[in-house]
Amino acid sequence: MRQFTKMHLIESTVWVSLVILLFAFSFEFDKEIEIYKFGAAGWPRAVLGMLLLVIVGNIFHQMRHGDNVQAGRVGVSEDEMSDVDRTFGSVVTLTLFLLAPLLYAWSLKPIGFYSATPFFIASIICLLGEFRVKRVLSITALIYGLLILLFLLILNAPLPQGTMSPFYDFSAFMLRISYQLQNLI
Amino acid sequence: MLENFLTGTSALFGDPVSIAIFIFGVIGGMLFGAIPGVSMLTLAAILLPFSAGLEPAQGVMLFAVIYCTGTYGGAITAILFNIPGAPENAPTAFDGYPMTKKGMAGKAVGAAVLCSAVGGTASALLMMTATEPLAHWAIRNIGPPEIFALVFFGLAVASSVGGKTIWKGWMSVLLGLMIATIGQDPVGGINRYNFGLSDLAAGIAFVPAILGFFAVSEIFIQAEKKAFGKYNAPKLNVDFPTFTELWAHKIAVLRSIIVGFFCGILPGIGATLAAFMGYGEAVRWSKEKEKFGTGKLEGVISSETANNAATGAAMIPLLALGLPGGALTAIMVAVFQFHDMEPGPLVFYNSPELIWVVFAAMFYANVSILFIGLIETKTILQLLRIPFTYLAPMILMLASIGAYIGRGLVLDVVVMFGAGVLGFLLRRSGYSIAGIVLGIILGKIGEQNFAQGMQMVHYDLIAYMSRPICFILIIAGAVTLGTGVYRALASNRAPKKL
Repeated sequence: MRQFTKMHLIESTVWVSLVILLFAFSFEFDKEIEIYKFGAAGWPRAVLGMLLLVIVGNIFHQMRHGDNVQAGRVGVSEDEMSDVDRTFGSVVTLTLFLLAPLLYAWSLKPIGFYSATPFFIASIICLLGEFRVKRVLSITALIYGLLILLFLLILNAPLPQGTMSPFYDFSAFMLRISYQLQNLI
Repeated sequence: MLENFLTGTSALFGDPVSIAIFIFGVIGGMLFGAIPGVSMLTLAAILLPFSAGLEPAQGVMLFAVIYCTGTYGGAITAILFNIPGAPENAPTAFDGYPMTKKGMAGKAVGAAVLCSAVGGTASALLMMTATEPLAHWAIRNIGPPEIFALVFFGLAVASSVGGKTIWKGWMSVLLGLMIATIGQDPVGGINRYNFGLSDLAAGIAFVPAILGFFAVSEIFIQAEKKAFGKYNAPKLNVDFPTFTELWAHKIAVLRSIIVGFFCGILPGIGATLAAFMGYGEAVRWSKEKEKFGTGKLEGVISSETANNAATGAAMIPLLALGLPGGALTAIMVAVFQFHDMEPGPLVFYNSPELIWVVFAAMFYANVSILFIGLIETKTILQLLRIPFTYLAPMILMLASIGAYIGRGLVLDVVVMFGAGVLGFLLRRSGYSIAGIVLGIILGKIGEQNFAQGMQMVHYDLIAYMSRPICFILIIAGAVTLGTGVYRALASNRAPKKL
């Protein structure tokens, strides 16, 4: 029992809550299917039942062994982060690093790929510790240029253009330039 | 057979356009497979509209070649960056990436090149000789109950690798199965867990999920190490394995060819399960089980041989039955449909020249992996020289484009980054990302075949288990599961701390 830490409790609570939540939501589609006895909710509920059993097994394992790796497991990567000194600054950097891509993904619809991407690339480079302005700008331009060359000019891949002005206008400008360049070649 | 093969070869190399398409497919598949963040599926999705303008044989051949070389290419990113190019390369990363960290990247990539070529070529030869008899056997003996039984066995194998404990292995697989339930149910078409979002009615597309769980979460893991000062750049090494080192694993290669080919034949299963089962069997038969996952060459060899051995076999259900064995073979169905054709038994009679051009192209594509792959490898290894600070945004951008292109939905990019954050948190807690991904891929197939199987046997479990293949696979899965649980319960004697 001493091995069962507060983190384990939080982890188990999250899993059990997830099972309860998904089980509750399964009533929304608990409809009969004429040709299939178990209906639309049968399979997810069976999986949730098994998941609950396995969560109980996991809790028992954590009570007895904590975070120890079970003997004979393969493909388990070594935990290199257990003994690090977690400063406030590094935690903030990591949190921003996790949030930046989500913000970028959210911005793709209104702003579009062509306008949002350079800012995203530059922010990732900065979050990884590169603050020399010239270096950040040149690497951003290089990556952006390569992406435009490969996906817009060579492969003509359709990318999000945005819905808001002036971002949409910028996307249209990029597509026009690409079309003219393709015609030249 | 030889005559048909020679006819296919002359049709392939007698036409300059076909030669150009073949070379484009070989190089494109290898490059897109080997660039972290995108995969052969990204290339296939981009090229699909253009294939309408090609001859039917050229169109199908292009995607078949991309399938062969892309499956190999995905091993490179798995080994160098712990980012499998495709789900079938996930087990390759278990030992390939630790080898890179030990400065043995050249050996791992060299083994992947050779074993992919051997597995793929053997599979292509088997495919040419056995497509028709195997298709007839499969029609008679393989039905939904057998496919479900194989899915169950595959998931049991997947749960035994990757997670810190059997419990976490199974929690990962079951989470993947739950993610796969999002969208319409495969029997009645009723929406499940889509929360009113119409884009979710078709479910979570697996390309964004795979990119998120594998590529994005790995970038987050490395970014965490960088933020906390624990990041070590991988060591560059271009020493290939010696012939003696490879010859020592001949049994593993042979076993993986058989496992890979068998998995590939079964519709819907494809190369992913083949790789997991090839790796799982290598662990099962090894005298040094504990060394797997720490950088053992046999792990890379088993996984890469099996997934390439499945490429040829996956064409059998596609061409003989019209059933795709995976994502890329599903795209090939679309190519057939562009030309008003349906893959299936009639193709053998109506378009034998198409079949043999495709067979010949796949054979030569696998052979070319050996030659072009060895040259390409030395160049690709130089990617390790690029600082992570500059490589990370490049990978994130390529992954974003790769996720978006498949369906043209921004939601898929959101799903990918969401999966990346979730994958990062789960990996930090000792869960198996490979298990989640396999659960997502096999979830819908498993449910659909379970439902069809139950309807076939009128919900009679005895009738279900009286089918011999079904019985063997379910018992094998149960034994794998039981052994894992027994080991977990008995492990209180000597737990190891990492």
